[in-house]
Amino acid sequence: MNITNKDGHAGHISQQFNTELDEILTHLMTMGGLIEQQLKDAIEGLKVGDTELLQNAIKADDKINIMEMRLDEQCTHIIARRQPAASDLRLVIAISKAVADLERMGDEICRIANSSKKLTQGFPGEGYAQVRHISDLVATMVSDALTAFARYDADLAYQVAKRDDAVDQEYKFAMRALVTHMMEEPQTIKQSMHIIWILRSLERVGDHAQNVAQHLIYLVKGINVSHSSVAQMHATLDMHKHE
Amino acid sequence: MRVNMMHAEHKTNFSLAINAPQGLRMEQERIAVEVNGLNLYYGGKRALNSVNMQIPRNRVTAFIGPSGCGKSTLLRCFNRMNDLVDSCSIDGQITLDKENIYAKGVDVAELRRRVGMVFQKPNPFPKSIFENVAYGLRIQGIKKKRLISETVEWALKSAALWDEVKDRLHESALGMSGGQQQRLVIARTIAVKPEILLLDEPASSLDPISTLKIEELIHELKKDFTIVIVTHNMQQAARVSDYTAFMYMGDLIEFGTTDQLFTNPVQKQTEDYITGRYG
Repeated sequence: MNITNKDGHAGHISQQFNTELDEILTHLMTMGGLIEQQLKDAIEGLKVGDTELLQNAIKADDKINIMEMRLDEQCTHIIARRQPAASDLRLVIAISKAVADLERMGDEICRIANSSKKLTQGFPGEGYAQVRHISDLVATMVSDALTAFARYDADLAYQVAKRDDAVDQEYKFAMRALVTHMMEEPQTIKQSMHIIWILRSLERVGDHAQNVAQHLIYLVKGINVSHSSVAQMHATLDMHKHE
Repeated sequence: MRVNMMHAEHKTNFSLAINAPQGLRMEQERIAVEVNGLNLYYGGKRALNSVNMQIPRNRVTAFIGPSGCGKSTLLRCFNRMNDLVDSCSIDGQITLDKENIYAKGVDVAELRRRVGMVFQKPNPFPKSIFENVAYGLRIQGIKKKRLISETVEWALKSAALWDEVKDRLHESALGMSGGQQQRLVIARTIAVKPEILLLDEPASSLDPISTLKIEELIHELKKDFTIVIVTHNMQQAARVSDYTAFMYMGDLIEFGTTDQLFTNPVQKQTEDYITGRYG
């Protein structure tokens, strides 16, 4: 049975259980908010060379790690004490997986901030346009994945997954351009490598956002779309549209 | 303690059941019992509303649902226990191996040998452990001592009770613990080699460890028998069964594989019940 919003998890005879499920969803959203801010700080810090913003992004990771542990613990307790079933079970599983992806996003964003601090020649330079473009795409993916979770919106989650293909494509182009640049001007290799690491991490953040979107589809529709191509996902979602 | 050892020491082997049937499909099952358009009335009150279902062979099928939903009533139709209720009447059909069990001329005693039943409260006879299990065989007119003792041993071993009672077979069954008594009753039921085993809340009066032993036993017994279990304990249904039927107010609301029903049920009523929203 599809579930259409978070009220679908209310109405248990046990009020306490309602509260517990509501809490993990709220905590996930809080954690998502921290990630969004962290990403914003890292990208903005990178664009304008603001080390304070980059430092904020690095510091945020501790908070995110604590939230991950707390949410893991809450999910474990719910499984142990409530033995959730059906959509409740899918909620706990989806959240527990999304938490892992969010935490990994946090790590990648930290890497972005650390590499950005090492950019000696400042920005803009070669690769600036690509970083800017990919970071915009990825930031939208992250915020849409979280919005999809908040609204139980499987269609929006699908759009997130679709956008990941665009990011992968852009990433390939950027790599090619940077490799050419390094061959032409070997003295920029150090700088270019940092940009490559940044792009690599951005691309990984996009992958994790796609995973979060897929966990939401599992929660809402009860179907597992991990490792599906966008076309396969579209077909599966279409098939389950009217259930 | 090594992690793999920790998992190996469970009372049940479900956690290790990597060879458990994955992706069961009713179309691929051999059907033992088929119910077609079954209505059942207690006097003027209808207790089952045109139930249609197929019970697959060598599988565990669980019936769940709130009190009074008709799950025990349906179970009792399979060996015509409802015949004992004066005001009870049925229409529709139940076939066991394609033969209508409600047809005229059906030998009900023979039907009940083929379709054995175990109840909520253990009901051993006030006889010795051995005689409890041998009872059905003696009723059938079997006199060969060796055959009887071999069958008793087989039944007690199958019911995972042999090691606990082999040295006191001739002591009274009433001196056993509740969990042992229930396994004795299961041994008594399977001694006459039924095809179907009906279990009506077989563990609801037992402590958690005895309950796990019964559940493990159910898992073992499905190799030889088709098992239908009624349980109030949803986690138990989820643990032991391959297929689950959810009933509500005399209707069969949903019937599917246990994996599907407990992760993504089709009907809202099923979802509400298994997630604790019913009421």
